[in-house]
Amino acid sequence: MIETFNSLMMGFSVAFQPQVLMYAFFGCIIGTLVGMMPGLGPLAGISLLLPATFGLNPIIAIVLLSGVYYGAMYGGSTTSILMRIPGEAASVMTCVDGYAMTQQGRAGPALAIAAIGSFVAGTLGVIGLMLLAPTLADFALRFGPPEYTALLLMGLFVLAYMSGGSMLKTLAMAVFGLLLGMIGIDVMSGYTRFSFGITELGDGVGIVPVAVGLFGISEILMTAGQADPPKVQQPSLRQLIPTAGDLRHSAAPILRGSLLGFMIGIIPGSAHIISSFVSYGMERRLSKNPERFGHGAIEGVAGPESANNAAATGAFVPMLALGIPTGPVTAVMLAAIMVHGILPGPMLIQQQPDLFWGFVASMYVGNVVLLVLNLPMVGLFVNLLRIPYAYLYPCILAFCIVGCYSVSNNTMDVWIMLAMGVVGYVLRKFGFDLAPVALGLVLGPMLELSLRQALAMSGGEYSIFLHRPIAVTMLVIAAVMLLFAIKPLIFKGKDWRSKVGLDEPADS
Amino acid sequence: MRIVLQAVMVVVLAAVWPALAQQQYPVKPVRLIVPFAPGGPNDILGRLVGQKLTEQWGQPVIIENRGGAGGTIGLEAAVRSPKDGYTLAMGGTSNLTVAPSLYEKLTYDPLKDVTPIINVAAVPYALAVNPTVPAKTARELIPIASRKTGYLSYGSSGMGSMSSLAAELFKSMSKTQIVHVPYKGTAPALTDVVSGQIDLMFADLALIKPFAERGRLRAIGVTGLKRSVAMKELPTVAESGLPGYDIEPWFGVITTEGAPRAVVTRVNAAIAAALKSPDVLQRLAALGYEPLGGTPEQFAATIKSDISKYATVVKAAGIKAEL
Repeated sequence: MIETFNSLMMGFSVAFQPQVLMYAFFGCIIGTLVGMMPGLGPLAGISLLLPATFGLNPIIAIVLLSGVYYGAMYGGSTTSILMRIPGEAASVMTCVDGYAMTQQGRAGPALAIAAIGSFVAGTLGVIGLMLLAPTLADFALRFGPPEYTALLLMGLFVLAYMSGGSMLKTLAMAVFGLLLGMIGIDVMSGYTRFSFGITELGDGVGIVPVAVGLFGISEILMTAGQADPPKVQQPSLRQLIPTAGDLRHSAAPILRGSLLGFMIGIIPGSAHIISSFVSYGMERRLSKNPERFGHGAIEGVAGPESANNAAATGAFVPMLALGIPTGPVTAVMLAAIMVHGILPGPMLIQQQPDLFWGFVASMYVGNVVLLVLNLPMVGLFVNLLRIPYAYLYPCILAFCIVGCYSVSNNTMDVWIMLAMGVVGYVLRKFGFDLAPVALGLVLGPMLELSLRQALAMSGGEYSIFLHRPIAVTMLVIAAVMLLFAIKPLIFKGKDWRSKVGLDEPADS
Repeated sequence: MRIVLQAVMVVVLAAVWPALAQQQYPVKPVRLIVPFAPGGPNDILGRLVGQKLTEQWGQPVIIENRGGAGGTIGLEAAVRSPKDGYTLAMGGTSNLTVAPSLYEKLTYDPLKDVTPIINVAAVPYALAVNPTVPAKTARELIPIASRKTGYLSYGSSGMGSMSSLAAELFKSMSKTQIVHVPYKGTAPALTDVVSGQIDLMFADLALIKPFAERGRLRAIGVTGLKRSVAMKELPTVAESGLPGYDIEPWFGVITTEGAPRAVVTRVNAAIAAALKSPDVLQRLAALGYEPLGGTPEQFAATIKSDISKYATVVKAAGIKAEL
């Protein structure tokens, strides 16, 4: 403990060097701006900035990139809440209740709670990372393809709690998402599926263009289809500050989200994306009045935003403890230090103590910087809503196209985004909820790959799932979740869904 | 009068411009396409080369990451560019030599649509096993792998990737049946070898080395015919029990077919000089990459011979993909 404390102090001495501090600050600002760009999320942000760090020293490079990473997550929630444009898969759930709050004139509290939740989750995450990294990293390694399959199945059953509309519509949308996820090169066989000869579709349909299209573009189209222009909001200062009730409602979701996110985050792979979906489903299930979800429930912002940030920190556990990049973001981070000739590996903490502890300390600093930076800016951001829609929406549309294109310099992404905008518009007109599409698209490819990997490992024996304690435990939980979800269908009893109003358009 | 003078100047300039351009390549910024996302070996080498060329020419060399479809999207963009030598690309074994046998409908022909400029560096691969596998050499590994089909499993960064082809060549040469478990990328596959979910993997030596030093992986051998300077004590797979085994991925700079010969020579000379500068050598050594260099003709010969080599490997492995 003393040793950890001493190392941390050493880390702070690195992080508080004026130059390092300055780059941490820059990183947070750039990240926030990048995140606010529709379509550009944390991964795109740090990938675009990676080349710029090659000339810096490794500590500064990683501090800058992690600042960008955190900043982009904050920024992403801003556009989700204000304009219903998710910067990445993880902020899809924030769009639902966050934007509903904006429409009720409560954008200020939503933004503030998102910032506070992210701060709490980020800080708790760093504490967890610092104290538990070596222990947790070895636990994380016990997650192989079979465990992953079980985890993703659990994620799939969260669907039952995601939408307030009819179960049939929810499932139809989830299947639509899963089908979209089928497009692209099959990793197992190398065959391309459903690409219709378009090379760019070989890598599949990205979640970002789909999410921006379904949520953002469709919203613009919906607004354009209204007879009267929506009223421009004039938020007053009083409305910006979360009420005591908001804070009370948010406290538990923030803590639950932090814990959940951190646990999911340390698992190698891209599973951290599902943390915000799972958190949303969990909050809705635990809530005394689930009918508020989808119509501006602050818990629906607090939980997923915290889970998302805690997961981001959790993802650093295996990266730092073992030198293993567990997801695309950590892979880019490790590339940033590899360029300087530092090979990541299990010796990273011992060989580069100032890098590790400087990084940990700078994460504390970054979280504080972001809170300080973002809370006062809530007022500024909310004022964007004063811009008349006739001017605001064309600008957003342009930004969506530029952002989407710049992720991989690929016009196909722009077409996907625009097509999904039209699809989203039509679906919303028919009262379909769109979040399950995003979850299906995220889960589909991962679930398929891990299931087939597990079966390849076992030579086709499904018993592999029963020989592994972690997988069995999670499958049992998933089965229980499934039973709870189908209970009302069998017994026709009253459940939370009946309070929601079955066939009301969930989202209008 | 002034108008006339200006007009005359424009005409004169237009007449001599092509000649000037030829003499002073590059007269404008040069584009270097990296057909992968930032952060991989291809990107690192591309940026290293780009930086050196910028210094030598005083013209910016702009790196453009065009990832996707195993590096074929970026390469296609490069070969479809104007034939003036202002668009270069960092190609590699995968998109220049494997892709033709892997993809039935590849949209470019590496032998016809590409002008090779210079082979930049080899990125040594190595075979690593989880330490629970009781084999220290390829000779010891083969009998274990032949015990029964699926006794051992290998991870790769996807069907048709270099890591899968290295393993498939190993399988067909040693007549073993090791089960293939593909992943999306090298990192998750390597993670599962470290944790023992799967038994072995062929991957960049630079990634394996830190784990081998800590005992979390056991390196069996490098895949090329020569030992790597990064880990001199590590034998080649060929000398440790599988004679003739040879896989050595490389990355090199190409441009469009029909680019001016003078430009090709100039770029070749500039990169060859860069590959001799101490800081480049130091950066490459730190990552375990080995500088190659050579003439455009030598590079063309390498591409040609590797295409037929990987055609055999892909056929033996029974991989067939379409695009």
